[in-house]
Amino acid sequence: MKLEIGNFNVKDIQFGPQTTFVDGILTVNKEEAISLLNPEKKLKNIDFKIVRPGENVRLLPVKDIVEPRFRPDGRSIFPGYIGLSEPCGDGMVYAMKGMAILTVGKYGGWMDGMVDMSGPASELTYVSKLKHLVIVAEDAHPFDSEFEKRVNDSAFRLATHLLAAYVGKTLKGQTPESVETYELEETAADLPKVAYVLHLMTNQGRDGYNHLLYGRDMMLMNPTLVHPNEILDGALVGDLLSCGSAKLITYDMQNNPVIKNLYQEHGKTIQFVGVILATQEANVDDKNMDANRVVQIAKLCKLDGAIVNIKGSGNVNVDFFNSICKLEDAGIKTVGLAPVNPGRDGMSQPMSVMDPKGDALVIGGSSTQIIELPAMETVIGDLESLVRDHYPGAWAIDPEHGPSLREDGSIIVDTHIIFEQDGCAGWSDKTVVEF
Amino acid sequence: MKKVVLYLNQFFGQIGGETEADYPPSISEGPVGPGLAIQTKLKDAQITHTIICGDNFMNTHTEEAIEKIAGLLEGIEMDLFLAGPAFMAGRYGVNCGVICKYVRETRHIPVITCMYEENPGVDMYKKDMYILKGGDSARTMRKDAAKMTELANKLLAGEELRGADAEGYFGRGILKQVFYEEKKPSARRAVEMLVKKLAGEPYQTELKIEQGERVPITPAITDMSKIKFALVTSGGIVPVENPDRIPSASATAWGKYDISSKDLFVGGKFKTVHAGYDPSYADANPNVVVPVDVVHDMVSQGKIGSLYPYLFSTTGNHTNGKEAVRMAREMAEQLLEAKVGAVLYTST
Repeated sequence: MKLEIGNFNVKDIQFGPQTTFVDGILTVNKEEAISLLNPEKKLKNIDFKIVRPGENVRLLPVKDIVEPRFRPDGRSIFPGYIGLSEPCGDGMVYAMKGMAILTVGKYGGWMDGMVDMSGPASELTYVSKLKHLVIVAEDAHPFDSEFEKRVNDSAFRLATHLLAAYVGKTLKGQTPESVETYELEETAADLPKVAYVLHLMTNQGRDGYNHLLYGRDMMLMNPTLVHPNEILDGALVGDLLSCGSAKLITYDMQNNPVIKNLYQEHGKTIQFVGVILATQEANVDDKNMDANRVVQIAKLCKLDGAIVNIKGSGNVNVDFFNSICKLEDAGIKTVGLAPVNPGRDGMSQPMSVMDPKGDALVIGGSSTQIIELPAMETVIGDLESLVRDHYPGAWAIDPEHGPSLREDGSIIVDTHIIFEQDGCAGWSDKTVVEF
Repeated sequence: MKKVVLYLNQFFGQIGGETEADYPPSISEGPVGPGLAIQTKLKDAQITHTIICGDNFMNTHTEEAIEKIAGLLEGIEMDLFLAGPAFMAGRYGVNCGVICKYVRETRHIPVITCMYEENPGVDMYKKDMYILKGGDSARTMRKDAAKMTELANKLLAGEELRGADAEGYFGRGILKQVFYEEKKPSARRAVEMLVKKLAGEPYQTELKIEQGERVPITPAITDMSKIKFALVTSGGIVPVENPDRIPSASATAWGKYDISSKDLFVGGKFKTVHAGYDPSYADANPNVVVPVDVVHDMVSQGKIGSLYPYLFSTTGNHTNGKEAVRMAREMAEQLLEAKVGAVLYTST
């Protein structure tokens, strides 16, 4: 199975009468695009903005990010989700690089985050380094409960993916500037066999919140084995759970850094065998069953080693260490990839569960670091959401720090809120160090 | 010019050896002994005074020694305090820790000492101050003094430190986020670490995990019919108006709510603010998180003695361990006072 990703560098984005991509400039017809991205009419007051790295802009609450793509052979870029369920991970797909579709709402929930396009917070996430075509929207109907209003982002998720496909269509008939090729070629037999154990968000017991595999909600799924190319090619759609800092969204799948780095070593120091999609469950018994399934698949693949990620934090630390411990017990060497939460003073136990068998850990950052950020000239979304909606990383009152939002528009938050700052996907250029 | 004060024992303070170990605290102007070497490398700072105290005096008359030193330091301005280096000298190391801790807590300035890893002062005081990793005898005096000077210069200049290992001091148990060397992405680091681990080559984990402490399970209660029973939750159950503004995550506060009757504890009157689980079921019926209804029934059936009429509630979602321990202590104090004999603690 050979996947080719044809890259087109997007130099700038602008609005215009026709949606086109010419000489690196993406022009978007706003009205036409808006009419296509809201098929269920669950969103209202939809508008677009364009933001670029270095601009004095704060975006919040940020919901989702997707890279625009196009498949010349006519297959959907997110099979089973927006389009028919067809195999993916092979053939040619075109990708717009240096930009993304980013969605901002009005109400913040536990899965949302914030992106600054300049200033200290822009150093903390790759998202600040991309140009964005921003969808700004609100929920059209009052939801049936406070819970739904706070957290149900499925209409935002759909809009983001539909717009990515719409924009991507401008690449039709064009020639990519460069092509990346992904193929698991035969290697020398004595190289150690390695897989990526990709923990996904699957523990929300109802539709519309978990990761989607070929468009299907993963809530009742057992761990399964997939080809890395399927993930690079739209088989997985990001979840709508857990805080902004610990996301694993569609953009992370399309550009997954762990997969790309394992490919780099494939045939040199390792044999990259595949990706085990691992679940994260609510009940202990299910957690154990899932880790056992991961180990069974690993044994069938005759693995020597695995990189194990975490998705989120809190009770999913159990799933993370379950996989690590049971793989190590089976003689399969592991490296874990996770953020930590050592508290504001940095002195608390950094994860809710820890096991010394996790003796090789890479830490993407601390989600509990307090940061003070200056006011921004432009806010896209709703700044009040910081103190009204209580998403992780922001607060209405705090005995030591006061409210997250101050009268002059400056803010004090913790790193939970920085969208993609820990990089459960492997982007993070940060770690934690003992002081 | 920044001002530095140095603490030495009787030996390095050039008063005398073990026979002078009972020497009471004294102060002299300018640097003495190791202070001379430190002074030559200090940038824009000078050691204005040196405190000298016998090891036995400090060790056996600690309070008196601190009081005397406090008196000697009265009216003396300082930006930074140094003690030692103390090498493997046990009493001296502990004394450096004692006086550094006192100065830090009263003057709120940075304090630095230096000793060998096996010096008992390290384990006693490493969480309270910068203790540089020093040699085991005075042969390393020059090196140790240089380390102290280097860190002193950084702290006085307000320079950002790079962490305990990089700066050469014993970790204080404070984890902070920093950029990785050359901003290498975590995925790359993970793959490189795995390749090394598979090849049996040395690698360095970014978080060391030690076997944690386990809290022993208390013996079972044999007769519940005489027990006053209390309910505590970290499931974020609060009255719908959330009067104490309990946050949805990272809580630092807890609330105390009336549950003296089953009728008070129903959907519409109570809800959850916890942002880590689907709250719709708990909003509809808070008893699914805190079984107030069942406990009331068991009380009327005589199975449980009585119910403590208040629910203690907070959010466990991303709540800092230290804050959790503090809140638990505050709750326990009230429960003990009310003579509660058993607590049912529910999460989510």
